[in-house]
Amino acid sequence: MMSGAWIPIAIFLPILGGIMIPLIGFRRPKCREIYVFSVVFATSLLTAGLMAAPPEGAVSVVNITKTIDIAFYVDGLGTVFGVLVAFLWPLATLYAFEYMAHEPRQNVFFAYYTMTYGLTLGIAFSANLITMYLFCELLTLVTLPLITHDRTKAAYVAGVKYLVYFVAGATAAFVGIILFFVNGGGLEFVPGGLSAGNIDIAPGILGASFLLMFFGFGAKAAVFPVQDWLPSAGVAPTPVTALLHAVAVVKSGVFAIARFTYYSFGAASLVDTSAQKIAISFAIFTILYGAVMAWKEVHFKRRLAYSTISNLSYMIFGILLLTPAGLVAGLLHMLFHGIMKIALFFVAGAVTCQSGLHYVTDLRGFGRRMPHTFAVFTIASLSLMGVAPLCGFMSKWYLSQAAIAGGGIFAYLGLIAILIAAVFAAIYLLTIVLRAYFPRKGYVAAGNPQAGDPGLYMQIPLTLFAAAVIALGLFAWPVAEWIGRAVAGAFI
Amino acid sequence: MQGASFVLLTLTDTLTIAFRADALGLSFFVLALSMWTVAGLYALRYKDHQENNVRFFVFFFLTLMMLTGMSLAANYVTMYLFFEMMTFCSVPMVVHSGTAEAVSAAKKYLFYSIFGATLGLLGLFFVNAYSVSMDFLPGGVLDPVKVAGSEALLQKVLFFAVMGFGAKAGLLPLHAWLPAAHPVAPSPASAVLSGVITKAGVFCIIRIIYYQFGPELVRGSWVQRSWIAVALLTIMMGSLMALREKRLKTRLAYSTVSQVSYILLGVFYLNEAALAGALLHVLCHSVLKDGLFLSAGNILYRTKLENVDDLKGIGRQMPCTLGCFTLFALGLTGIPPLAGFLSKWELARGALEADLIPYSLLGPAVLLASAMLTAGYLFPIVLRGFFPGRGDAAGISGQGEAPGVMVGALGALAAAAVFLGLFGGSALEFFQALAGEAFV
Repeated sequence: MMSGAWIPIAIFLPILGGIMIPLIGFRRPKCREIYVFSVVFATSLLTAGLMAAPPEGAVSVVNITKTIDIAFYVDGLGTVFGVLVAFLWPLATLYAFEYMAHEPRQNVFFAYYTMTYGLTLGIAFSANLITMYLFCELLTLVTLPLITHDRTKAAYVAGVKYLVYFVAGATAAFVGIILFFVNGGGLEFVPGGLSAGNIDIAPGILGASFLLMFFGFGAKAAVFPVQDWLPSAGVAPTPVTALLHAVAVVKSGVFAIARFTYYSFGAASLVDTSAQKIAISFAIFTILYGAVMAWKEVHFKRRLAYSTISNLSYMIFGILLLTPAGLVAGLLHMLFHGIMKIALFFVAGAVTCQSGLHYVTDLRGFGRRMPHTFAVFTIASLSLMGVAPLCGFMSKWYLSQAAIAGGGIFAYLGLIAILIAAVFAAIYLLTIVLRAYFPRKGYVAAGNPQAGDPGLYMQIPLTLFAAAVIALGLFAWPVAEWIGRAVAGAFI
Repeated sequence: MQGASFVLLTLTDTLTIAFRADALGLSFFVLALSMWTVAGLYALRYKDHQENNVRFFVFFFLTLMMLTGMSLAANYVTMYLFFEMMTFCSVPMVVHSGTAEAVSAAKKYLFYSIFGATLGLLGLFFVNAYSVSMDFLPGGVLDPVKVAGSEALLQKVLFFAVMGFGAKAGLLPLHAWLPAAHPVAPSPASAVLSGVITKAGVFCIIRIIYYQFGPELVRGSWVQRSWIAVALLTIMMGSLMALREKRLKTRLAYSTVSQVSYILLGVFYLNEAALAGALLHVLCHSVLKDGLFLSAGNILYRTKLENVDDLKGIGRQMPCTLGCFTLFALGLTGIPPLAGFLSKWELARGALEADLIPYSLLGPAVLLASAMLTAGYLFPIVLRGFFPGRGDAAGISGQGEAPGVMVGALGALAAAAVFLGLFGGSALEFFQALAGEAFV
């Protein structure tokens, strides 16, 4: 069992390490790469150690008042999210080295990129609502310059949108937290939430504070109607869109929802309330909204962004079923989708990097020009569509079984929405695959004629992700069991 | 006959990828293998007509492999997996020529199939929740304890799952891909698409009705009546559209839409006689339709002619091809003693036995009407081919009969059609035994 002191070290190592980058001012790329990768890799190792041998209890870092402090702990739910983040960050960093190789101001970029890692870990290991809230807001601030990195007009517009959505979300979440706290809710995360302490809050207040937090933190999880920042964020460099907007930022939102639903409110206090019904309705709508918008969208990364919006609500749907099976299914999809979507975004980035192309209609014949890359795309697409026995099928399977077992009109509506979204997913992904491998006779190859498979820094993550998609599908059962054990305490 | 099952992958405690060879599965596998062999040998010669052959043959064989996996599946999820993979592997054959029409047809095929398969997936999700196991067992695997009270829900699920798999079989309303995709593929591919792959949809429907949900769930209910009504509509619509269609391969595609719904009709009556007739027609239609498409292939190969109006007098140039075509046309119409008569007879008998007002009477009536329409859309081709009458034998170049291998394949199928006709009784007995096994 590691000492609790390691938790803040794991969190602040990448934050401080990141701040140092522009201060040191690396001139040679190789030096920067070695430094950044060492910091990220060390953090991942530390995090792995913390999750393998978690410290008992929470570690308080700063005491703001007697009841409010900044504290961290490592529990089951945090581990599930932590595993995803710790595994993906080093690989995404490698990819970013190659992608950003010809971009300006890389020191600043990697500073923010690395700091984000620490902040995400801070969210995963938050021990109370205030800490989680603080790190969510810091995440917004630190990722903002990553969105506007290219300094084009579109980038600034996207940045403003980003800021507006998240400041609004932060306000809502904050009001929700205050409302909750003032009416007897505890700030500390406790398995079972209110039921653990036998606390009763008036249903109206309970519902209001829940919904405020839901849409507040849910802005990061791109729930309708606060989802529109995500497609615009597609203007950011691909390492940002891929890691942050397919994994870190959006999954933080989903994680936060899971955290306060089960560890602040508790399933028992929310089940069958109108708050649950309202929230789950928005999730179900988002599933369909994202799928339809993705289908209509022709910009490659924006299409993937809408697909992310849809899939995030699969997770939220599972979580809001408020059953053990639902929570496990939602978290399983959180893990699996993270890997599938980062692979897909990395392909999009590789295509842009090599050929300068951004639109799916330009991808004719790329199956032959970038064979390895599109092989990964095909595998990840088949998985996201739900072809057995890949991991995307398995998480849908668990979601479906949780929905059927739960019963009730919302569960069935959600199931139908997921199936409809799966059909759209097949369309918006397979048309790309079809175009890539079976272009029309006499087509004109678009973009840079030298385009080919990217270098090793991109190929390694891509290959690993494809392998993971297959392996996680075959071993989905043990993973689901592990998640089940990790969150077992959440139900009282 | 139940063999031992072989588990390839264990995904969860209820979800395994496993195979088992029972009589129904093996029969379908043998059918697929035979048709693939004939079409494959044909394709070896036909390929001189087209480019990119390695790609074609790779997906040709991959599709057969997926069909094999589907036939020998021991449970719903395995069958579903290989059914989906079969769709994916057959798309490259449809898109093969790379023309705008082919690409558009392939997309249509893909999306109708995926939509249909997703409905089938719904069935999979519910069977797992309401059963003891997802293995295929005659009479179904639903757990009465779990099902109690949810019968209406499960009826709806089965209805949609069947309509979903029916997309592959050309059942209304998800049939529109068929007339687009079958003609645009190379002829050997059209043959197996119409002859075998559509039957994969039928196979899955048989499996989920008889071996997963159990026929008793829907016997006499709105579900059964709706299915039968839709099948009857499809039979009529397919035949009528075939009559109007001028392009030969598209006409044959509409014919498939119609004929495969004969088979589905038999499946939907939920009794042994009808099911036996349906299974016999699976075999007969495969032979006959494969033959018809390969004949069209011969004609395309030699003359590049696509429309029936252009085929006046072709019998002089290609007597063997048109001769075989005649046999197939007679069989498809249901003229004894060729294959195709006995299956229709059994279907009618099964309809009457089902005792379902008014569908027991409508069934045979529609079968009869459709038979006349079939004659209407096939015989004129034969007659005009052999007896062009006065006026030009429009633009037929004097290149003669198609290459030996291709005519040989046709001959083999024609011989099979005659054989099945003459020994129809024994064939029927075999299928009656198969059908009997499906009922507990």
